Amino acid sequence: MNNSFRQRITVLFARAFTRWPTLGRLWSKVAPIKVSADIPWIPMLKSLSDSSVCLITTGGLHMKADVPFNVDDPQGDPTFRLIPSTATQGELKITHNYYDHADADRDFNIIFPLERMRELKAAGVLYGVTPTHYSFMGHIDGPHVARLEDEILPVLLERIRSEQPDFVFLTPS
Amino acid sequence: MGLIQRRIESAGISTVSISILRRVTEKVKPPRALFLRWPFGHPLGEPGNLAQQFTVLHDALQFLYTSSPGEVLDLPYPWRRYEYSMPASWNLRPTSIESEPKAQ
Repeated sequence: MNNSFRQRITVLFARAFTRWPTLGRLWSKVAPIKVSADIPWIPMLKSLSDSSVCLITTGGLHMKADVPFNVDDPQGDPTFRLIPSTATQGELKITHNYYDHADADRDFNIIFPLERMRELKAAGVLYGVTPTHYSFMGHIDGPHVARLEDEILPVLLERIRSEQPDFVFLTPS
Repeated sequence: MGLIQRRIESAGISTVSISILRRVTEKVKPPRALFLRWPFGHPLGEPGNLAQQFTVLHDALQFLYTSSPGEVLDLPYPWRRYEYSMPASWNLRPTSIESEPKAQ
């Protein structure tokens, strides 16, 4: 099966999953997902007006000038892209075949609420928005899972820590 | 995504996320998540609907302070036919901090 054919099939499935969420919920019942035992926990000790946020999405968002996610690898793309806090709608693009992102293409805030967070900061509700935010593609499989855990997440954590957010807000797609 | 969230919290930073697949979230067990039974690709709602987007954001940010470890909160909003209004108050803080004026 060639790649373009497989991509067309993937896009059809993505549209079906987006239109009929029941399909996704059926899949989630049988998906082979490891059940975690413990729950990491850091309480929020500062008020929101003293706190800074960092955003992470798995919606495949990236700066147009940046390298797109690799949608040709059937096991996904475990890498992440940086999105500056100043990014505008016109500078961003979504490269992701596993969901229908026509609505998010029109308003990225529905998967990555950067403008809304900037507005909360301007209103004094929130102290700050970190200079850098992060985007993944999600849907990774096979050896990419270990690569994500062992190689990529340590780099991500180091970067996040360097900008000292008080909390991280994560959105799926 | 829950995996990334768990790693960040384990590294010492509070996290909160939106879930669109409750069963997956229940297995991965992120520290805090809010579940919305909405179509994929719309964790904060519809394009341009600011009241809807701010409502979800408000609930998520409030949950940073009210959640217990591993709690998945079901948000009550249906996907269609719901009239959103802008959140009335954003004065969100830990319960241990009273609303005294901030030191300048």
